[in-house]
Amino acid sequence: MSDKVTFTVDGKQLEGKQGQLLIEACEESGIHIPRFCWHKRLDPVGMCRMCLVEIDTPRGKALVPSCTTQITDELSVETESEVVKKAQEGVLEFLLINHPLDCPICDKAGECPLQDQTMAYGPGESRFIEEKRHFEKPIPISDIVLLDRERCILCARCTRFSEEISGDPLIEFIQRGNKTQVNTFPDEPFKSYFSGNTVQICPVGALTATSYRFKARPWDLKKVSSTCNCCSLGCSVELNVSQNKMLRILGEDNEYTNQGWLSDKGRYNFEYLHSTNRLLSIHSKENENFENINISEANEKITKKIQELGNPDIKFIIGANSTNEEYFVINKFANLLNRNEFLGKDNSNVYFADDHISNGYFGDQYENATFEDLDSSDAIVVWAEDIKDNLPVLYLRIKKAVKNGVKLVIFGHTNTALESLADLYIGSEVISNNFEIQKELSNIKELKNIINGKKVTTIIGKSTPLQQKKSLDTLIDYLQKVSDLKILNCFSKANTFGALQQIDQLKGLNEFCTEYENSKKNIVFTIGANPVNASFFGSQIKDILQEADYVISLDIFKNETTELANLILPTTAFGEKEGTITNMEMRVMKQNKILPDPGSTLSEWEYLVMIAKSLGEDINYENVSEINNELVSQYKTTVNLPTFDNLNKPSNLFGILHEKEINLNTNDVEKNNISLLMVKRLYGDSSTQINSQSISMLGSERFIELNSITLNKYGIQSNVATLTQGSASFFVNIKINNFLPDNLVIAPINRRGFEKLDPTKEFDIKETKNMKELSVN
Amino acid sequence: MRWETQRLEKAKQIIKMYPQKRSALGPLLYLAQDKDGYISNESIVEISSLVGITEVQVQSVASFYSMYKQEPTGKYLLSVCKSISCEISNSSEVIESVKEFTGLSNNETDDQNLFTYESVECIGACGGAPAVQVNYETIEGLTPDKAIDLCSWLKETEPKVIVADELQEKFGGVKSFDWAIEDNTGTSSPVPGFQTYDTLKEKK
Ligand code: SF4
Ligand code: FES
Ligand code: FES
Repeated sequence: MSDKVTFTVDGKQLEGKQGQLLIEACEESGIHIPRFCWHKRLDPVGMCRMCLVEIDTPRGKALVPSCTTQITDELSVETESEVVKKAQEGVLEFLLINHPLDCPICDKAGECPLQDQTMAYGPGESRFIEEKRHFEKPIPISDIVLLDRERCILCARCTRFSEEISGDPLIEFIQRGNKTQVNTFPDEPFKSYFSGNTVQICPVGALTATSYRFKARPWDLKKVSSTCNCCSLGCSVELNVSQNKMLRILGEDNEYTNQGWLSDKGRYNFEYLHSTNRLLSIHSKENENFENINISEANEKITKKIQELGNPDIKFIIGANSTNEEYFVINKFANLLNRNEFLGKDNSNVYFADDHISNGYFGDQYENATFEDLDSSDAIVVWAEDIKDNLPVLYLRIKKAVKNGVKLVIFGHTNTALESLADLYIGSEVISNNFEIQKELSNIKELKNIINGKKVTTIIGKSTPLQQKKSLDTLIDYLQKVSDLKILNCFSKANTFGALQQIDQLKGLNEFCTEYENSKKNIVFTIGANPVNASFFGSQIKDILQEADYVISLDIFKNETTELANLILPTTAFGEKEGTITNMEMRVMKQNKILPDPGSTLSEWEYLVMIAKSLGEDINYENVSEINNELVSQYKTTVNLPTFDNLNKPSNLFGILHEKEINLNTNDVEKNNISLLMVKRLYGDSSTQINSQSISMLGSERFIELNSITLNKYGIQSNVATLTQGSASFFVNIKINNFLPDNLVIAPINRRGFEKLDPTKEFDIKETKNMKELSVN
Repeated sequence: MRWETQRLEKAKQIIKMYPQKRSALGPLLYLAQDKDGYISNESIVEISSLVGITEVQVQSVASFYSMYKQEPTGKYLLSVCKSISCEISNSSEVIESVKEFTGLSNNETDDQNLFTYESVECIGACGGAPAVQVNYETIEGLTPDKAIDLCSWLKETEPKVIVADELQEKFGGVKSFDWAIEDNTGTSSPVPGFQTYDTLKEKK
């Protein structure tokens, strides 16, 4: 049987797929049927009745909702008949009965489906003179989302999103009839990593975000598509700017990556761009104090320093937020300094500031996966850092695949949040607290049943910087032997894969510490990296940077690392620079510029080109598309290259897959006895987040997670305690997580002060008797 | 307040009767109502952890159905039918007399916490209209006078257990048909006295 269906709409013959919903099939053929509750990524409910159309049935014509009707052969549909029009007017009249029509003060006005469709399909005048229902306006349902129940038209988009897509149904319809309303349970706020999506898909102004309320009118917004850089997933976004201020980020529906959704971090982490704490001028340290200098003075200082130091060793610590073009120039620049007359070494001198990277699984022996493979495989096997916190939208993709019947196997102990989705959770019986596999994998019958001979996609990376790579190898070897395996290397930070593609040989901070030689003259560049905080090697690097002869930091904020620099060069940030980035699947995507460079900031590449020139070296780029052109010429293939021009074409808006040889050179941490498992949580103390007012407090809670047996061992009764290690001491909330093995205690690494904790050293947890102490803290 | 062990045991028994835990939500809500005369937020928290759905999902169901009470009821919940069959059989006078006796208007509870009065839509006893329920035990064929007798009897004797047959005998008139409930042991709280909840047996 063919899966093509032919049907007629308003006298036109159309084609669709078997089982397709009428509203969707029409949409694909360019016929728009008005709707409120139907959303292409949610299951249909037929709540609002706005999509009524007339169809022929054996008993004559009938009005049916097109969002719950599947197309069938020879179906005949009217979307504009008198009856349909009357129905649409009626539905709108009903919806408007209780709608407050406070459009003049509503954020949604101007892009409001209710407003627009009332214009297009509404009755034109109101007959309603009775009292509308009233609710308190608006109520906060979480720290970042507000709800105005008067405006709500009860379409259930938000509640369906939270149940079907994000799996945290903390909002629901309560009451019935005229009292029906969306709400949360008292004292159980809508605390979700994905709550902002409900604001975006609400067809009226019932759900609004604190960061955008009353900030702009949609018709005043300047808009550009871009790619989010909060993690390495590559979510497509639309940046909304007014009067040179970023005001909002929306998710775009990129079939390959985010499918319309964003995490709240990706959506709301932008206010920092306009923070008064931004670095906007060049700072040079003179006698322990920073002074402002201008660019030519800075340039002079650097050149002089390099010459003065004779034959300095120059090293680069780079972060994950640069564009491919910036990495390309960094690589060139680093090579050049290695080869120039002052230096003799031809060793790589670029180090990446993320302890989680390992050599990974690239090259001919391995087949790398895309996110699409998650949907088409029989099983997904995950062993990596916490996906929900570090790659939140990948969590949604996994959840979706599982919903469609793909089996899920989780290896412990970081992804306990995925346990409820998993068909098999492999915990302490197989995996030690040091993340070693301590049982023959082929002996695990349940695992065999799920993966043997099957199409498997694995998401793999170090769960903690202290995990040994060979344990991952064991799993990969086994999976390769018994299944048809595709691999997604799980490095979670922003443009990690861009750095991998552009830097000839990338090393880690471990290598930085071992290769740094005190006896030499040393210059260190840190570029968009803060290795002193949030790295296992933080304190070692702090010592090194204090000792180094000259430290140059390129960054957007002052931080623990720039404090140690001799020269700070302020750089442009997200939305202020154009370039490409590469996601986990090696999909190259465009980041666009919509904001002017603030203050005297420059792009990273502009600084490097300038310094190179004054060293008499020939790195010459006038603009970033020149770099892009040269960069793509080095890709393996020659068709459909990710040039700016190409990426701006509508067909390529959502990225072009491009592989490039990858050369990583990292070693395991030797001392790897884990006592405290430090993991990164979605929200934390990054300078971008704490300078984004709306979300600045979301990562402030200090807590530890452990199972109840371990908790009992420490003899703790209450839900607060004191965590001590050496001279460090913190009051912490206690969260019970019984999927953790005994004696493993998790602490978030991105909490203020927690960088003092050493995951390999002993610690103690004591009962906190006095609640007052907590508030002093 | 947390549920007492006995109630938790009962809840677990009920959950076992369903292939999916969340399907036990309906009866568990009645267990909650049996405890406090309404569904308290504490009970919602308890049920949410018992069946593994969020609190607000439990609340969503609990607040949708009118037989789940959101506010404490008195010892006796008087539900007088106001729908069509009863109406044409003079229910408005029954309603008036009950209101007058108790001094309550719709959805009110008296200060002694003895009576809660509500007028309700059809309770499925049209054949024996007009009909009244006391704690969801149905009495058919009432007259305004009999309704007052019923209320004063309840007030004077304050029976622990309400049994439909007994009240029907004492105060009822024409019955629609034999309800044929085998285990007609009545109820001791504003919760239908079906065997599933079995709330009575422990109390007896
Ligand atoms: S709040 Fe918005 S999305 Fe949620 S039900 Fe109401 S109208 Fe729909
Ligand atoms: S869109 Fe079809 S009923 Fe709402
Ligand atoms: S109308 Fe009263 S029982 Fe049906």
